[in-house]
Amino acid sequence: MKKEKVQVKICVGTACFVQGGSDLLLYNDFVDPAVIAQCEIEGCSCLEACKVNGEGAPYVTINGEVHAKVTQEEFARLLSEAVKNA
Amino acid sequence: MLEINNQYTAMKRRIDTEVLKLYFAGELESGLDSLPFKIIPKDRTPNRCCIYKERAIVRYRIMALLGIDIERNDDEMKPLSQYAKEVMEEDPPVLPLLTTISTGCYGCPPDQYRISDACRGCFARPCMANCPKDAIVFINGQAHINEERCIRCGKCMDVCPFHAVVHIPVPCEEACPVGAVKKNEKGVVEIDHKNCISCGRCARSCPFGAIAERSGLFPVLKMLGNGDKVTAMIAPAIEGQFPGTLAQIKASLLKIGFDKVVEVAEGAAVTTEHEAEEVVRRKANGEGYMTTSCCSAYMELVDKHLGFLDERYSRAFSPMIYTAKLCKEADPDHKTVFIGPCLAKRVEAARRGGVDGVITFSELAAIFMAKGIDVREEEAADLGDTSSFDYCRKFALSHGVADCVLSRVEDPASIRVMPINGVDKKTFRLMKSWEKRAPDVDLVEVMCCEGGCIDGPGTIVKPAVAMKLRGGAKAASPVASVKSPL
Repeated sequence: MKKEKVQVKICVGTACFVQGGSDLLLYNDFVDPAVIAQCEIEGCSCLEACKVNGEGAPYVTINGEVHAKVTQEEFARLLSEAVKNA
Repeated sequence: MLEINNQYTAMKRRIDTEVLKLYFAGELESGLDSLPFKIIPKDRTPNRCCIYKERAIVRYRIMALLGIDIERNDDEMKPLSQYAKEVMEEDPPVLPLLTTISTGCYGCPPDQYRISDACRGCFARPCMANCPKDAIVFINGQAHINEERCIRCGKCMDVCPFHAVVHIPVPCEEACPVGAVKKNEKGVVEIDHKNCISCGRCARSCPFGAIAERSGLFPVLKMLGNGDKVTAMIAPAIEGQFPGTLAQIKASLLKIGFDKVVEVAEGAAVTTEHEAEEVVRRKANGEGYMTTSCCSAYMELVDKHLGFLDERYSRAFSPMIYTAKLCKEADPDHKTVFIGPCLAKRVEAARRGGVDGVITFSELAAIFMAKGIDVREEEAADLGDTSSFDYCRKFALSHGVADCVLSRVEDPASIRVMPINGVDKKTFRLMKSWEKRAPDVDLVEVMCCEGGCIDGPGTIVKPAVAMKLRGGAKAASPVASVKSPL
């Protein structure tokens, strides 16, 4: 059976985008292409997480789990971990 | 220069947003004094020496946002609420644009080269052989630099096979192209405003955030707040700065209270026509090279350091000025606010007049965040007919202005172009040399920021991201594999 792809959503709401989320859109430059091939990466609207805690942007969800303050390094790490565990 | 996304920019954005939230809630004066305590709570692990210093710097950042000249008007006993009250009553003067937060300054040691422990004291010793001043000595089998002899040329660093030589710069001094940022006798940063060209490089390069730009945001908020009719003039670089298309950005601007949104590319088309006509005329008359004149920091550079270029720059006004004229013709009762990536535009607006306010993209972002506006969710507004000027959106990029001008010349192949892509110490030296030896070209395009305005000091995203999102509807689906673009 074909392996399910990891579902990745990058918040592209204005608050996340402005506070570093825009960097994640360059994922082709800093994530291993083999990992990207195993992921389905999408932009998504505001996850409303920032309204609860103003300090967590940018947010990313991986297979439904919300991650806060995601940097490029963190993003690459989370993705390869998720792919490994898939 | 620092990467655009770092803890300092994150803090700056947070402060701006929190101040604006207070302002929009009508609680600016009552809430401002406690804001440093809210942003730096007691249990925070400080990045500076302690939370108390962090709070003090937050206070200064708020003052800079209010437009206060911290160098001259810092009264430590005066509460922020009092400053806010005064700013609401009367706009502070625009110049000087940059101000220093002296307590934030680390007092970096002077620019130096040092030899680290990675030195193996090798047999070839290329550092010693290549040092023009014999400044390298060997002690206990390791190289050392004699500070008194060293002229900081960096040759030893270039030749060391072990990369054992490190260069430790003073970031602000190194960033300033004209040597206007210096440390005073106390070792603390000072700006020589007579020589400063307001490019903003120093403010972007200090890792301690000790240099701040005095914002022009509050005068604009007041215009929007007291019912003035206001036209927003958006610089060509805005495309790609927000997660949405130009039409969505326009819609967002209308939502925060602007009455009309006009693209500065429209004025850029006028600049282009003028420059195209001028460059051809100058060439026909054998007058030699002409430079562009749209970069405000470059115009300050000519004014303060390169007087001989007075004859050389195009007589065309900048796109901002032409756009403001067009706006005043269309709606004489409207005020005009330039929204761009540039700090020096505030200087230009203050000197030339005709533009009522200037804010940056990052200040605009703070307004959006404080008002909870999500650019991407906005219904696209009608941009109108942009066909006559949309080619001028390229003004935001290095080579872009020259491309536009050439597209309006009958024989583009005959015009030789030289771009100055970013004014730093090196290109400044090059430009100085033109006094003795004119460059053998017809058009010099000068952009003070490397890559063009899309890497200006007031931008939000890295140029690489902006480039990805520029052009048509790309920004509507910023991620490649988006399944259902909004």
